[in-house]
Amino acid sequence: MEIPVIRDVLEESNALAKENRAAFDRHGVFVVNIMSSPGSGKTTLLQKTIPILKARGISCAVIEGDVSSTLDSERLAPLGIPVIQANTEPFGGDCHLGSHMVQAALKYLDLPSIEILFIENIGNLVCPAEFYLGENRKVMMLSLTEGEDKPTKYPLMFRECQVCLLSKMDLAPHLDINLDLLESNIQKVNSAMRILPISAKTGEGLMAWLDWLVNER
Amino acid sequence: MHELYIAECIVKSVNSSLPRNVAPTLVTQVRVQVGQLDAVVPETLKFSFDAIKQSCGMPRAELLIKEIAVRCRCRDCAHEFGIDLPVFICPACNRGDVEVLQGRGITLTRIIADEPEGETHGNTSYS
Ligand SMILES: Nc1nc2c(ncn2[C@@H]2O[C@H](COP(=O)(O)OP(=O)(O)OP(=O)(O)O)[C@@H](O)[C@H]2O)c(=O)[nH]1
Ligand SMILES: [Mg+2]
Ligand SMILES: [Zn+2]
Repeated sequence: MEIPVIRDVLEESNALAKENRAAFDRHGVFVVNIMSSPGSGKTTLLQKTIPILKARGISCAVIEGDVSSTLDSERLAPLGIPVIQANTEPFGGDCHLGSHMVQAALKYLDLPSIEILFIENIGNLVCPAEFYLGENRKVMMLSLTEGEDKPTKYPLMFRECQVCLLSKMDLAPHLDINLDLLESNIQKVNSAMRILPISAKTGEGLMAWLDWLVNER
Repeated sequence: MHELYIAECIVKSVNSSLPRNVAPTLVTQVRVQVGQLDAVVPETLKFSFDAIKQSCGMPRAELLIKEIAVRCRCRDCAHEFGIDLPVFICPACNRGDVEVLQGRGITLTRIIADEPEGETHGNTSYS
């Protein structure tokens, strides 16, 4: 027998994401899903960003995605904000955060007291792009050492995100990277992408990033 | 390797699409469409599905994957076009405000299963 169906395979995953979003909206939490290759600088950027937001009276929290370790959470602990570690290992060691994992993490967060929730996704330029978690904005980071060809090689990530943070700008003088080529490659894949060059090390571009966050909220 | 996760999602989708009298063990074929924009490697997805189907109670199910090419529409001039390379620029007006119509997402399209025992002569009841 043939059973014809037309069904989105990620239906259940998306339904959970919508539940997450409803909870965020109910409590006025602005949620940013940050994605990149391993080591582009996601945790370092959060270490720089959150103290400034805190000083401006904006309360933050972080869901830290990692396959198994708690190293990134430990780095964020001194910030004195809620940091929930979401490890995919008990869920099968996935290379991306799933909406069910965000939902599990929400049990440990007091949403009414949070204004901006950052989700640091698992370091991976492919898999996290596929899955909606309930976030308001998807932001990706590409460090200058990764090369100009990445938009063409990982188009889904560049299509899905509203902002591309070009990180480690302080390294530009030491690299052969052609920034114009990189920007034009990004625009070929996503002409609406907002490109923000930053360096967590020197502080370059941090204010533009903060302005974006505060304005989008 | 999100293909394993997607394979699990396919199994769940199949299970919840089966009529009540059709056990998962009867499923012989599962067809899905995968958009080319999705970062899914068909061979890896098939491999993942085969790896879990036994423990998911669908040992005989074969996964057939059809890749769907990317089709876009320009929001400026309404031109529709397909793309082979990930360049989302309208060939008619050269602008990049482009909407993806097709080629993103994973859809379950068909399940083929053996007829349930005792119901091969229609649903006639003799009692
Ligand atoms: N030069 C330079 N190095 C940076 C910058 N930002 C981060 N790094 C370095 O890059 C390395 C990786 O940074 P992380 O913040 O751990 O990167 P991540 O994206 O959180 O990594 P994963 O969570 O493992 O995916 C560290 O050694 C940082 O010190 C920067 O702006 N400039
Ligand atoms: Mg990190
Ligand atoms: Zn056009």
